[in-house]
Amino acid sequence: MYNPVTQASKPRAPYHEFYADDFTPRDHYRLLWDHIKATGNSALEAKAHESQLALQAEGVTFTVYGESEEGIERIWPFDLIPRIITAAEWVKIESGLKQRVRALNHFLGDLYGEQRIIKDGVIPPELIYQGRDFRREIVGIVPPRGIYTHISGIDIIRDEKGEFLILEDNLRTPSGVSYMIENRVIERRIMPEFFDKYKVRRVAHYPSLLLAALRSLSPRGKDNAEIVLLTPGIYNSAYFEHTFLAKEMGIELAEGRDMVTINDIVYLKTTTGLQRVDVIYRRVDDDFLDPLVFRSDSSLGIAGVINAWRAGNVAIVNAPGSGIADDKAVYPYVPDIIRYYLGQEPILNNVPTYQMTNVQDREYVFDNMERMVIKAVSESGGYGMLMGPSSTAALRKEFVDLVMENPRNYIAQPVVYLSRHTCYIDGELEARHLDLRPFTIYGEDIEVVPGGLTRVALRKGSLVVNSSQGGGSKDTWVLAE
Amino acid sequence: MLSRLADSMYWMSRYLERAGETARLMEINLLYLVEAEEDMSEEDKWRPILRITSSEDRYREQYEDGGISTPRVVQFISAGRTNGSSIRTCLRLFRENARVARDRISKEMWEAVNEIWMMFDDRLKGQLNAERACALFVALRNQVARFNGLTASTMMRGEAYSFYQLGGTFERADMTARTLDVKYHIILPDLSMVGSALDYYQWAALLKSLSGFEAFRRNYHSGFMPADVAEFVVLNAAFPRSIVFSVAHMGVALKNIGLKDKEATRAAFAEISEMVGLTSQQIFDAGVHEYLEKLLTRLSLFHVALVEDFFQ
Repeated sequence: MYNPVTQASKPRAPYHEFYADDFTPRDHYRLLWDHIKATGNSALEAKAHESQLALQAEGVTFTVYGESEEGIERIWPFDLIPRIITAAEWVKIESGLKQRVRALNHFLGDLYGEQRIIKDGVIPPELIYQGRDFRREIVGIVPPRGIYTHISGIDIIRDEKGEFLILEDNLRTPSGVSYMIENRVIERRIMPEFFDKYKVRRVAHYPSLLLAALRSLSPRGKDNAEIVLLTPGIYNSAYFEHTFLAKEMGIELAEGRDMVTINDIVYLKTTTGLQRVDVIYRRVDDDFLDPLVFRSDSSLGIAGVINAWRAGNVAIVNAPGSGIADDKAVYPYVPDIIRYYLGQEPILNNVPTYQMTNVQDREYVFDNMERMVIKAVSESGGYGMLMGPSSTAALRKEFVDLVMENPRNYIAQPVVYLSRHTCYIDGELEARHLDLRPFTIYGEDIEVVPGGLTRVALRKGSLVVNSSQGGGSKDTWVLAE
Repeated sequence: MLSRLADSMYWMSRYLERAGETARLMEINLLYLVEAEEDMSEEDKWRPILRITSSEDRYREQYEDGGISTPRVVQFISAGRTNGSSIRTCLRLFRENARVARDRISKEMWEAVNEIWMMFDDRLKGQLNAERACALFVALRNQVARFNGLTASTMMRGEAYSFYQLGGTFERADMTARTLDVKYHIILPDLSMVGSALDYYQWAALLKSLSGFEAFRRNYHSGFMPADVAEFVVLNAAFPRSIVFSVAHMGVALKNIGLKDKEATRAAFAEISEMVGLTSQQIFDAGVHEYLEKLLTRLSLFHVALVEDFFQ
């Protein structure tokens, strides 16, 4: 059963990744620190400029929506100073992610199958049935080898004590992996001398791991696999990544309109006629995947692809319906999901989360509202949310009423200050908040690429790391020893 | 390959060629204006350019009074708001198609695409006097040449390359035919001027805008006879901007793509080939203008056939 959190930690200063205190770097940062001091500011400035030029010439961009009909294409923001994760820290992250992904795949297989976890009373049925991303249309379909989330990008933060916590599970079409690799390419080119001092584990083999996983899913066997990456097109914010991955894997980059389904078989429209497709690595959400099954107004998907999938003629990666497992309302139950399917204690903890249906939790949240974030489970993007520290008494009163009216619709979390790291910003070394998104591939086995995308909130004091809102990134080093 | 990608490769190349050709036309016309002593209005000097780029109507949408002046035309051709074939728009669409076909072009090409866009986007939008515009067009021409070199030396010779080649050679045939047609008509009526200085400069400008001035001089020694110029530009198989040369290279690309079961394209291309198989006498008997108009029509029908056979 779900364990309520009974004790929240007292607020303290955010954890600093780089410095142990005001004057000394942590042990694993000492060599880097010495080197930065020896390099001097003007050399750093030149290198920062060089990295910008390299990113520009390579067209490493992302698109911000809303400012014009085409979206604005921006150069990927990159900070010179690498973030370092020790071998010991990585062991914990890696094993924790493997455990979590394994459990979540059992969970998805169960939800779209027997639903034992609901029958056993671990998860309330309404939680699933009210979830927007639970797809009734696919109940009873078993994807190849029972795997749903071939690719996961689970976000990890570090709390004030330096403990790694899971912030959110991204199991639909997580992006960022191309930037992880590009950041390394740039860092290696601009700062080769940094690498002399450390044994840094490689990350650039991610596409080959992914390709092997995709090939293993081909209904016609892995030696006869026509694989495509389904993209919404050049105006999608992650289009750079789509081309990057297609190129790295040597697979076709296709849009929905490039494909057609005939007799439950998916084909590509080519200059020499139709060509059968075996595996679709889709970067299009469930809603838009098949207008015959999901949203009928979608032109991004392929009509009939779900039937082809059901017939076992094509593999879809990640499997349709995976989204229910990263639903906000399901998140507090993931530790129980791990215990239920694996009989293990979670290696990586969640951010403490209070269920408003639980009387003790609720009373505690109401008593400490200034230190809480209250979120409506069905909303996203910051809507329907109370940020305790900046709230007014009137607003808090309003939220008490809202929660009492429908406790099931809300969760609460203590405000967590993300850890900080030294960044080179406008000629100065300054601390900024950051998080970490490592990438997990579930193919023949589960593998976590040693590294990840470190996202940085470039605005001073900000806790928002999204690239669309002034977020940047760093090369992320996992040390071999 | 994917039909949509084939379409992108074809258009990527067409837009680059169009941007380069337009820049060259502008450059030559601007240079020609510098020392235009003869009594010719600015309007007369620029109207042919608007006609070659088929943009007279769109020009009038942007400048409702219809007045033609150097700064206006420079702005309009560079980045005119209503000009769907402005140089900037061509470069934007060149890059957009390159993005779509990102996984079919080499890394070197992709980086050059970005460089070209970064180098010219803002400058084309800015205020350009004649001198700066001229320098800009020269720079663009050089970048296009560099890009063509990179393509030749780094791109895999596969289907994508063939569609790329087809687009570029098609656009070149089309632009050459337009340029010759329009210029020929301006220059020709002044029969009294044959052999005059004005005549010399006008024919020279036409040939220079096709990069064929020196080659023409080597081949023909009796001055600028209109018939000679037309023969050279249409039928000289050794001149890389001649129509027959472009059509021959379209043929090479089509052969590599393969025309099995592609009847519409095969028939449309045969119609074009037939026209470059004529003798210069046959062309003059039919009338150069009539000949070029017919050729332009057949080129556009060929494009329609391509769309039907390959891009849908």
